[in-house]
Amino acid sequence: MGFEKLLFYIFAAVTLFAASMVITRRNPVLSALYLVMAFVSSAALWLLLEAEFLGIVLILVYVGAVMVLFLFVVMMLNIDVATLRARFIHYLPLGLIVAGIMVFDMFLVLGPADFGLDQFAKPQSQPADYNNTAALGQILYTTYLYQFEIAAVILLVAIVAAIRLTLRHRPETKYQDPSNQVRVRKGSDRVRLITMPAEPVPPSLTATLGATHTEMTE
Amino acid sequence: MLDNYLHILIFILVASLISIAPPILGSLLGPRRAYAEKDSPYECGFAAFENARMQFDVRYYLVAILFIVFDLEIAFLFPWAIVVKELGMAGFMAMFVFLGILVVGFIYEWKKGALEWE
Repeated sequence: MGFEKLLFYIFAAVTLFAASMVITRRNPVLSALYLVMAFVSSAALWLLLEAEFLGIVLILVYVGAVMVLFLFVVMMLNIDVATLRARFIHYLPLGLIVAGIMVFDMFLVLGPADFGLDQFAKPQSQPADYNNTAALGQILYTTYLYQFEIAAVILLVAIVAAIRLTLRHRPETKYQDPSNQVRVRKGSDRVRLITMPAEPVPPSLTATLGATHTEMTE
Repeated sequence: MLDNYLHILIFILVASLISIAPPILGSLLGPRRAYAEKDSPYECGFAAFENARMQFDVRYYLVAILFIVFDLEIAFLFPWAIVVKELGMAGFMAMFVFLGILVVGFIYEWKKGALEWE
């Protein structure tokens, strides 16, 4: 137990350190990388609670996919640090009020009256062959079947919304289409031969042509 | 159960040691003789046109969000794959409906051309 407690404090300290670095860094890309660190140490905390599937999904989904999205969003925004810093004092009172309300809310929910080992006893530690993923699957696809299908609909809405909001077709862009390229036939698609009558040569041109011709023969 | 993860803890310790030690050793042992010319950014030939932090195209965002959606779908598949034998036909149909709903979205994005990189 003592070793697990030590691990908990180490990972909790790493999480707090990374989270405070996220909100204090000037460079948003650095903040995003510190957020990766916070996610990984939170996954370790979940593993300590023996929620192994959640811990692995946190790394798979958040570190693997959501952080990529964050980095893209950060790089899509025009980051002008100077103007951001100029507005800092201006928005400070409002920010402090919002932060104060949130701390108060969190104290109401997570305060000593509703939190701690008295309200939530420590879960029994499981034997070595216990499979958290299988236990989750047993209830997710039977008891929580409706919520599971709702999740599919939410994902569908996310797909449609993302496409409707960000998809822009650019007809002016020129690009190669290999499937059309390989389907080119030898005759008509590559070279088009046009029969046309010979153009009559204007007399001025015949004079100069004739002159150069005689010069060359002499 | 946590005993199974001791290897990963040792792996994390070794990996963080390997990744933290070389920069610290480098900064402690390496010579550092900085002067103004050495610290100035090196620019070849001409002055820089624009800021290096240029804005990304919004299309990267679309790719990332579609990736997240299908990543989540895969996360739902893992516990299902473990227990599908015990769940039997009902569990199979549950995932069938789940994937069916998402295939609608997949067909939509395919037909809309969201998977094409113009």
